[in-house]
Amino acid sequence: MRLQGVDVAVIGAGPAGMAAAIRAKEAGAQRVLLVERQEELGGLLHQCIHNGFGLLYFGEDLTGPEYAKRFIDRVYDLGVETLLETTVLEISPERGIRVINKGGLQSFRPKAVVLAMGCRERTRDQLGIPGGRPAGIFTAGTAQRLVNVEGLLPGRRVVILGSGDVGMIMARRLTLEGARVEAVVEILPYVGGLIRNEVQCLHDFDIPLLLEHTVTEVHGERHLEGVTVAKVDPHRRPIPGTEIQIECDTLLLSVGLIPENELSRRAGVELDPLTGGPTVDQWRETTVPGVFAGGNVLHVHDLVDNCSWEAELAAEGAVRFAKGERTEGREICLRPGRNVRYVVPQRIRGEGPVTLFLRVREMEEGMRVRVGDLWQKRFRVVKPSEQIKVELSPKDLRRLPDGVAEIRVECEVAG
Amino acid sequence: MKEAQIICVGCPLGCRATLKVSREGEVLEVTGCRCKEGRRYVVEEFRNPVRVLTATVLTEGSRVPLLPVRTSSPIPKEKLREAMKALAKVRAKPPLRAGEVVLEDLLGTGVDLVATRDLPS
Repeated sequence: MRLQGVDVAVIGAGPAGMAAAIRAKEAGAQRVLLVERQEELGGLLHQCIHNGFGLLYFGEDLTGPEYAKRFIDRVYDLGVETLLETTVLEISPERGIRVINKGGLQSFRPKAVVLAMGCRERTRDQLGIPGGRPAGIFTAGTAQRLVNVEGLLPGRRVVILGSGDVGMIMARRLTLEGARVEAVVEILPYVGGLIRNEVQCLHDFDIPLLLEHTVTEVHGERHLEGVTVAKVDPHRRPIPGTEIQIECDTLLLSVGLIPENELSRRAGVELDPLTGGPTVDQWRETTVPGVFAGGNVLHVHDLVDNCSWEAELAAEGAVRFAKGERTEGREICLRPGRNVRYVVPQRIRGEGPVTLFLRVREMEEGMRVRVGDLWQKRFRVVKPSEQIKVELSPKDLRRLPDGVAEIRVECEVAG
Repeated sequence: MKEAQIICVGCPLGCRATLKVSREGEVLEVTGCRCKEGRRYVVEEFRNPVRVLTATVLTEGSRVPLLPVRTSSPIPKEKLREAMKALAKVRAKPPLRAGEVVLEDLLGTGVDLVATRDLPS
């Protein structure tokens, strides 16, 4: 394939990348190229066989493969060019892209780039759980692939560390496939994922949930034989004397996701330590001109629908950039204030609309979330596990007084 | 009279509702819900808890070992495990398109089992 003359190159063909490629084409880009390292489009959606996808985007309750298919069909219908089984080795600060596949090495320079590499799971090494290195310890996502795609059951007696959505969904899935889930262990005083999943994945199958507990040791030489679980104090430190032993042959880790930004870093894109993803403006343009980002590469979303939507914003920005339309204007910083862990975008340039995502640090009840004096809303409860989405209209933005350089985004007690 | 506890899954609040139920199984009173929709949900969840089942079935004559499937609509919660046993006997043969029925009338529920992706040969 001739790669010279590409208008918009999208890196990664998961729910974000496919949506970005489609929107770039719809917005008038002539040549849109979607680069994917796997042999098919869809990314992680193929192994997420459970439902709950697309409720917002399509107004339908779809499974992962069904959600993927809607986008895959549209990618091909619109004539997006695809480069499968292809790894991007490097993106330079001048948008030079180097890729490798069975055909060899190739380099090209598209007019604009959308980063949509998604995220990956935190591993045992990043937690530092003491013990040997027995077989039988998996990330929840790896186990999900084994069970749902490869047709392999990782074990018979399972402990799951972390109560994120993937962990709870795997607890149900493994139970239905005949394994016994001994416990889901969560270090925080509340469940990490959605309440729906706590009820329908854990309660429905009487799977024990141990809140304010963690795994302090793994046992077994060649294969996992059990884990030590202990209660933790309010500072999340294990309390001596509270240890219990649980026999198991499998430990799944569902302990957080990290945006995958090795390529971004080498391109010189500035990253936000709070999100692990690039810092962006409302068009999701990074600090490298013409390089945009959307979906989980930017910040980890709760819902796939928001990944797709955000990547569409990035694609619209990329098409404008490719056409030479550049928004100038003063730059205003969005800063996380009280009980706000992060805000995306980190800056606004020129006019609206602005789609903003934020996440709180701690669970609180009876709160008001505000974006400076532009927007506010009361929430009966805010939780770290539930992302908050805010839409600001061009009219909202015009209300900003001249000379404002910073807007604080905060969560305050509602009066 | 007896009581039932049900957690509402409608929103992040996760209200813990208590239902007072007569001996005949009629819901007399709901407390602990903070909205009308929640009250409707917990009563329905008490009377007839249903779930969409998503799983995989083995394939025959395909290069992929599994086909992901779902029930075309929710089935009673207490039938989930029995349904898995029925699924274990199914062998999906290509070609199949997403949305095509793999198994009709699962356990006499009137609900079909459908493929959620295309099955290549």
